[in-house]
Amino acid sequence: MRVSVESRASKQAKKVALWLTTFMLMLVMCLPGLWVVLSAFRPNREILAKPPVWIPEDLSLINFGKIFGFGAEQVGIPVGSYFTNSLIIALTSTVIALIIGVAGGYAFARYRFPFKGGLFLGLMLFRAVPGIALSLPVFMMWSKLGLVDTKMGLIIVYVSLNVPFTIWLIDGFFRQIPLSLSEAAQVDGCNPWQAFWKIEFPLARSGIASAGVFAFLTSWNEFALASQLTRSTDSKTLPVGLLDFTAQFTIDWAGMCALAVIIIIPALILTFIVQKHLIAGLTFGGVKG
Amino acid sequence: MIRALTTRRTETTPFLLLLPAVVTMLFVVALPLVFSLWTSLTPYKLTKPDTLYDFIGLRNYVRIFGDWDFWVAFLRTIGFLTVALNVEFVLGLGIALLINKITWGQRALRTIMMFPMMFSPILVGFQFKFLFNDNIGVVNNALQSLGLTDQAIPWLVDAKLAMFSITLAEVWMSTSVFAILLLAGLFAMPRDPLEAARVDGCNPWQVFRHITLPFLMPFAYIAMAIRSLDVARAYDLVAVMTDGGPAGRTELLWTLIARVGYDEAKMGQANAMAYVSTILSILFTWYFYRKLVAARRYMGGAE
Amino acid sequence: MAEITLEKVVKKYGATGVVHGIDLAIADREFVVLVGPSGCGKSTTLRMIAGLEDITGGLVRIGGKVVNDLPPRSRNISMVFQNYALYPHMNVRDNLGFGLKIAREPPAEIAKRVTEAAEMLGLTPLLDRTPAELSGGQRQRVAMGRAIVRNPEVFLFDEPLSNLDAKLRGQMRAEIKKLHQKVPTTVVYVTHDQVEAMTLADRIVVMRDGHIEQVGTPMQVFNHPQTAFVATFIGSPPMNLLASTIVGDAVRLADGSTVPVPDRLRGFVRDGMSVQLGIRPDDISPLGHGLSQDGPGAELNLTVELAEPLGMESLIYTRIAGQEVQAKLYGPRIVAPGEKLTFRLALDRAHLFDAATGKSVRAD
Repeated sequence: MRVSVESRASKQAKKVALWLTTFMLMLVMCLPGLWVVLSAFRPNREILAKPPVWIPEDLSLINFGKIFGFGAEQVGIPVGSYFTNSLIIALTSTVIALIIGVAGGYAFARYRFPFKGGLFLGLMLFRAVPGIALSLPVFMMWSKLGLVDTKMGLIIVYVSLNVPFTIWLIDGFFRQIPLSLSEAAQVDGCNPWQAFWKIEFPLARSGIASAGVFAFLTSWNEFALASQLTRSTDSKTLPVGLLDFTAQFTIDWAGMCALAVIIIIPALILTFIVQKHLIAGLTFGGVKG
Repeated sequence: MIRALTTRRTETTPFLLLLPAVVTMLFVVALPLVFSLWTSLTPYKLTKPDTLYDFIGLRNYVRIFGDWDFWVAFLRTIGFLTVALNVEFVLGLGIALLINKITWGQRALRTIMMFPMMFSPILVGFQFKFLFNDNIGVVNNALQSLGLTDQAIPWLVDAKLAMFSITLAEVWMSTSVFAILLLAGLFAMPRDPLEAARVDGCNPWQVFRHITLPFLMPFAYIAMAIRSLDVARAYDLVAVMTDGGPAGRTELLWTLIARVGYDEAKMGQANAMAYVSTILSILFTWYFYRKLVAARRYMGGAE
Repeated sequence: MAEITLEKVVKKYGATGVVHGIDLAIADREFVVLVGPSGCGKSTTLRMIAGLEDITGGLVRIGGKVVNDLPPRSRNISMVFQNYALYPHMNVRDNLGFGLKIAREPPAEIAKRVTEAAEMLGLTPLLDRTPAELSGGQRQRVAMGRAIVRNPEVFLFDEPLSNLDAKLRGQMRAEIKKLHQKVPTTVVYVTHDQVEAMTLADRIVVMRDGHIEQVGTPMQVFNHPQTAFVATFIGSPPMNLLASTIVGDAVRLADGSTVPVPDRLRGFVRDGMSVQLGIRPDDISPLGHGLSQDGPGAELNLTVELAEPLGMESLIYTRIAGQEVQAKLYGPRIVAPGEKLTFRLALDRAHLFDAATGKSVRAD
């Protein structure tokens, strides 16, 4: 009897240790972000205060107003323009990348054709080119084509950045749909095009949506190429904006934290929506998230 | 049993479907790469546009391979990536094993784990720049308030500490990729071999080493392949945290390229360096992609 | 009229041949079963008839018309897939009506035909459910309903019962047979289960390695197998094959003992020929415990090695001329291992197969 009591106690101890470690882990993951978010709601004088003020005394939205150009204190950060630029560029490049990706992903999932392996590998390897390395020749080419500092210029680049991974994901999602469904539809009277639209596409819809979210976030968060291909508020995106102002000599920390929060929010929301599907797609349906 | 992947379609449809993708990649990536190669063989300077048409062969490459600064940045980058990826793998494995044991609230945990992945590297860099700032950063403030130190620790200024901070930021950002994929692997693992091993007398470590780990390797390779595509995101991190400084103490290959190309306008040379980094990146990706394809077959995905 | 003819039909994947030129004529309203082991080409053949596989060589005709280049939707066929292939995002009603909707039938007509099919298959209470909410047997019936609703000329079944447990399989088998009586249409049915083949088919087509081994009614194939393969494939437990040689008027077994050559096979064998003596377990029984005791027979004294009682009969494992053989004992008697009994072989039901070619010595 004593043996089982001991092992029960040690089991409890193990469980507590487990929970504690996990808790610390989650803390480490969340704290940095949370601290930035908290600081976004505090005025600069609190943040810069020495000795440091631990319990926030003055919480307000003043920083957010500041960066958007409202309120008493104004800062010369055209966040409104950056935001619209980021939004337009990310959305457009995502939509185009999805169309190309669905076509390409379906081709890889359903067809056998020569050079298939090589083509897939080629797409992946193109994606492996470091952003900054690609930015050099693209900058030179785009200058000649007049695409520097235009939203279109960045959209085109982002489409190519997103196509490989989008194809990879969508390939995985289409493979999860049994081919016999398409065959049954064709026996039932559909031509291949109808079978795709009425049967396969609806079933892959959520997977395609999560591939879209991933592409959106890639474009939303991209910096290396954006930093070189944009010059003015015509096309500058939020990440570039953030760097521009953190590189200044006197940093408006509170304002920057507010800007950071604005950049994070879409990412958090979309991540939450997409997490289950992403894993299934990445492991080619070998694992259902 | 051999089951055909396709039905009656063996004609031009797949090529038509892939045409937009191929055209895009050729125009936006392949073409610039060719242009970049050409430029690396010229003494092109943005300030002297005519120099684009002078052919000087491999002189740029010879120059950079003889340049001390280049080698320092190069080796620092390799060292940084090696440390970061290994730490990410081990930590990711530990986290996955941990979460696997938790029975309650797993979905919430997995969602939280994905967050670092979804942040822009610029954001992550800013976040740690804010935390590690020697004056107002919360890390120093906390250390000083707790009495552990009485000086402001120069997290982003001292050479070693700065690289440490950057590595920390990188690990924080990307461990999740490993954690999530390895967790998926743990979920997918069949219980029977584990139980058989325990019945056969293996202790937990042996079970892990001989049963669990081999099964997880394909997932690890998937993670490595994904990471290899994005490893250059670390540039964003460094750009905002230290921009290769101060005084080049945290100069990585990518920041060097940006500096030489854009700040110093020496495009020819910058393109040469960029090509070196590109080839490395491609080799790295190719290596892990092959492992990934093998893993895919192992997990039953048809070719 | 929906007769199907296959003329020298060939299927190759690249250089690998899977179906090597088969000829088959299926009459209108006939229920034909393609049966054979995994990889024999039966599913591939079915899919070529359906139009889901390209036909590498030869001709396929449906209703007299060559269909080689026609897509599935133009062949007026229906198919029931092994995994049912029900559309997961539609309820049962929409699944049943999908084909008619694509064919742009008026909604009233669609509703009428769907209701009829549902009633015929007992699906009426399930019409609003989705496939995920159905059991295996129910899904099977929806798959059949979807096939019926379109009134095709030909029904194709691709191993529809493999995913069901044994008891359900038996029930569904009977339902399929009843359905064919109600809706007599040409059926081509693929299975690896010879019991399904025997019970459902008007004619059985036994396939192996991309060739047709034999075509015949169930009784023909059972009683007059033309090759050793067909002999052992059809019938459970399988026919015993004993290696032997023809010596004059007798079949000499491996240990030298002989049995007379069955009457109906005399004249078809030569002295010295290497053959396999084929005899079903049902036709080897201990004296007094067999199916019939008259007609030509041979008696052998054998030792029981193992006996598996099955209720009113037992399966007995023994050896003839050193080779392991299965026999049947009809009746409630229990035998123990080691018992020596006299067994009677019903010679009129024995077969001889050429040892080299596997073909029956008498081709009919």
